[in-house]
Amino acid sequence: MSSERRSKVSRSVTHLILLLLATIVLLPYAWLLVASLKSREDFFSGMFFPPGDGFLGIAWDSLTLNNYTNLLDMGFGRAAINSIFYASTSAVFATFLSAATGYVLAKSKFRGRTLMTLVVLGSLIVPPTLLIAPSYELLYHLGLLDSVWGLLLPTFAPAFGVFLFRQAVQQSVPDELIEAARIDGCSEIGIFMVIVMPLIRPMIGAFLLITFLGMWNNFISPQIVLQSASKQPLSVAIAQLRGVYRTDYGLLMAATVVSVAPVAVLFLVLQKQFISGLTSGAVKG
Amino acid sequence: MSLRSPDRRVVFAWAAMTPFIVLFVVFMVYPLIQSAFLALNQTYGPETQIFVGTKNFELLIEDPVFWKAIRNTLIYTLGSLFIQLPLAFGLALVLNSRRLRGRSIYRLIFFSPQLMGLVFVSVLGALAFEKRAGLVNRTLAWITTDASLLEIDWLQSYIMPTLILISLWLYVGFNMIYFLAALQNVDNSLLEAAEIDGAGPLNRLQHVIIPSVRPVATFVVLLSMIGSLQLFELPYILLQGNGGPNNQGLTIVMYLYQNGFELGDLGYASAVGWALALMLIGLALIQIWMVRREEAMR
Amino acid sequence: MRHALTLALLSLRHLSTGVWIIASLFVLSGVTLMFSIERSSDDLEMWVFSPEHEAMYTPMLQQMSEQAGGDIEGKNIELSLLSIPAIKSRMMSGFFGGLPTADMIEVERATVGQVFMGPPEAIGFRDITDRLKAEGLYDQINAPSLSPWSVNGHTYGLPHDVHPVMLAYRADLTEAAGIDLSLATTWDEFFTLLRPMMADKDADGRPDHYPLSMWVTQQDNIELLMLQGGGQLFDAKGIPTLDTQINAELLAEIVSWCAGDQRVATDIDEFSAGGHQARVDGEAIAYLCPDWMCSIWKMHVPGIAGKMKLMPLPAFTPGGRRTSVRGGTMLGFPKTSEEFDQAWDTAIELYTSPEIARVLYRKVDIISPIRSLWDDPVYGEPDPFFMDQPKGLMFIDLAPEIPIRSSSPYNYNAVLEIRDAAINMLNRSQDSSGEVSLSSLIEQAKRELERAQSAIERQMTRNAFTGVDSQ
Repeated sequence: MSSERRSKVSRSVTHLILLLLATIVLLPYAWLLVASLKSREDFFSGMFFPPGDGFLGIAWDSLTLNNYTNLLDMGFGRAAINSIFYASTSAVFATFLSAATGYVLAKSKFRGRTLMTLVVLGSLIVPPTLLIAPSYELLYHLGLLDSVWGLLLPTFAPAFGVFLFRQAVQQSVPDELIEAARIDGCSEIGIFMVIVMPLIRPMIGAFLLITFLGMWNNFISPQIVLQSASKQPLSVAIAQLRGVYRTDYGLLMAATVVSVAPVAVLFLVLQKQFISGLTSGAVKG
Repeated sequence: MSLRSPDRRVVFAWAAMTPFIVLFVVFMVYPLIQSAFLALNQTYGPETQIFVGTKNFELLIEDPVFWKAIRNTLIYTLGSLFIQLPLAFGLALVLNSRRLRGRSIYRLIFFSPQLMGLVFVSVLGALAFEKRAGLVNRTLAWITTDASLLEIDWLQSYIMPTLILISLWLYVGFNMIYFLAALQNVDNSLLEAAEIDGAGPLNRLQHVIIPSVRPVATFVVLLSMIGSLQLFELPYILLQGNGGPNNQGLTIVMYLYQNGFELGDLGYASAVGWALALMLIGLALIQIWMVRREEAMR
Repeated sequence: MRHALTLALLSLRHLSTGVWIIASLFVLSGVTLMFSIERSSDDLEMWVFSPEHEAMYTPMLQQMSEQAGGDIEGKNIELSLLSIPAIKSRMMSGFFGGLPTADMIEVERATVGQVFMGPPEAIGFRDITDRLKAEGLYDQINAPSLSPWSVNGHTYGLPHDVHPVMLAYRADLTEAAGIDLSLATTWDEFFTLLRPMMADKDADGRPDHYPLSMWVTQQDNIELLMLQGGGQLFDAKGIPTLDTQINAELLAEIVSWCAGDQRVATDIDEFSAGGHQARVDGEAIAYLCPDWMCSIWKMHVPGIAGKMKLMPLPAFTPGGRRTSVRGGTMLGFPKTSEEFDQAWDTAIELYTSPEIARVLYRKVDIISPIRSLWDDPVYGEPDPFFMDQPKGLMFIDLAPEIPIRSSSPYNYNAVLEIRDAAINMLNRSQDSSGEVSLSSLIEQAKRELERAQSAIERQMTRNAFTGVDSQ
């Protein structure tokens, strides 16, 4: 076989393998979507679509949006808004505080800077699971249990954010630029807002997304901190759906779709920033 | 005060950092210190505490359920490591080939489970591995036309494989991205030189690609281990809060949660947390040592 | 100030799409939440786990809130049916976090243990002893029925039931054989009377009928029998007392029923289809029957309708106790509830209502623990399932004598240890062929109970709140 043919064959084989793997990855999504449209009786009938007399042997008319409407009746709309609120609030405040602190630690000179940097970056070693129990106790004593503040406040000061932004500032913000701005009479705040922030735009976008995702998918914190059903986000609400007397599969499927769709959309819009933000830490290491 | 006064800069620096510092001290430093004291107490809810000294740790050492949790977590961690990472690396290699069409689409597809998030993937996984109606059994039965496969009770008899499979689906794409980025940073001139020297693809892989990818690989391995050792949401949602028959699906953090928030003993939970922290800090220190060693060798 | 604002606006120009999207999500969701007024519920919340209870209480509660109108200030009672694990976890997380849960929670005996795990001050339910006494209810309640919900003389829940235990037997078979089982006042007499029925007339190598359905794997029945005979697993202070002489003797006797070739007991599953069939076939003559078991049989074993009769349990010793107790539910009032008085009034109405007591008895054969209700004619109604016996009155007769039970959270574990002890003893007796002597069983029982005692003590020393220290 000529090398030309060989490489064509190997490329086809490659594509075949990739297609197979991609199918395996995508199959659950398809199953999820279709199952969320099935009624209770139909759930066990076919693997994907319920068999019937319609086009392609599928009973198209037995597909239903009932599961989704049932979700609304069960208060899932509220859970969705809660998720959006918690995730976006956490993202905004965590990003802003981390950016400010990261910038200061990177560029400002003051006594105690080294110590503070060490403490903050050193805390990255602490596994979050160690803090679960004492944080709960702290929130109890502060009277913040079952409160939105109790859930959100601890997320506003992530050391990881400071780590990322300090690095981003060091890489993207030249000292000379800051000095020049100062000479021109710009205030410190002005320097931060007008000079620095634009230069670290990619990191801001990436970190917003990271924090948003993190809070959206956070399960253990709201589970522990929040008690009222009206405050619970999708992550907790969906887990509770699972533990009822008889599992309503279609409902659970629809709930999953609802919980995943917003994030998927967000990501599709912002994917480049996300991936670049993620990998900047590792590869430049 | 003149704008150029260094004092003003310092004032700004502190002012800018204060919100972060306050929150950091309250919600990170204080709980960290407190966790040490908590571990010396037994509690029944945060209101009721009694000092017990080192008793929690003594009990922990003799606690068969705790050791079962450690064993499970380690099996899961190593299983994931040795299955997930080679797969991720292999995928990255395949996707890295120069003339591959649709690379970014494939990349997105493999990465997409990460977007769903651990919690929702766990819910989906629980449904997919259900006995009769689940996707997995249905597919297996369809492929092999063996209807008895529908009855495989994953969540009763094969908990660990189920956990590993689900996390495979979830994390392979994630790790692949790291490897892909690393591969794209491999010095092409080195590769070309090797090719000219007559090195075949396997040789090139072994002597050029792998060494230059090693730092990222180390990072990914450690990240993966740290994440795996803290596994909680997946088994918790899959098994609905308990460890499954014979505690087969009990992980360390799950045991921490059960003790702290179902039995109310935050002290014992803190002790479990410290045991885990020691394992993780040990790992982190190993990473730092390895990175230092790499740098020293260069 | 204006300076800062200008700066902020200037910097906004540089923000990327992502930032805009997330920022607007933040604003929109925040605004939405601010305007969604939280319906601060004026309603009383009640959690139950039994569908039967939900069915029984709902019409009554509706009636009450309609009648009350201005009296209860228009408060509705919201009844929620939750699964047992859901009740347990929500109840406990509410207790631990000091957060409001429901105003009334029904808990069953198997689940309530967790509530008593900590020190008495930390019990999440209110101490209703004084209230009960003040309203004269304390004496109205069948005294021993308070025990599983009480610690150190303080009661933390309203008992929902009594659950006395009688012996239910296949009267059709015994009467056909000319045996009057009601003459048996002790277990010895009982087994002697039924020996003729054990004959192997159908020559299949096994006795035609075993006298008693009972096995060493049935921990609830073991506990029931030991309590009947005066055995106790914990003392009044919650200290484990497994390894006592009387426990050993009782355990040995119980195991002897299942041991050897001449065994008088047989293993029939209590809740499975196979077990129900065995009941119809008459594999065993007599069964340990708490009041609620009657309705289970009525639902699942119609084949024995009209063939059964009830009698008080044969005693272990002449003149001994002729009943026992199994299972139970209580209604608790969380301390975090702000509507205790309202909840109390509602609960008392529900629990002392003759109407509900009647429905409870008619639907699920359960007798109320409120003594003043025992005069109700419903309990005297002949029950055709049990050959027209007035079984309600029969259970009521035995109610004051039911044994006291411990509220210790370790009770269930102790019962499991006892079960394991019984299984071990049975296995050991199978090895040595031939007859099994009671005295050797007693010796074995002592050893096993000592082991069980240390196991429970070990568990309890893990809990610094129990005051049990390892030596």
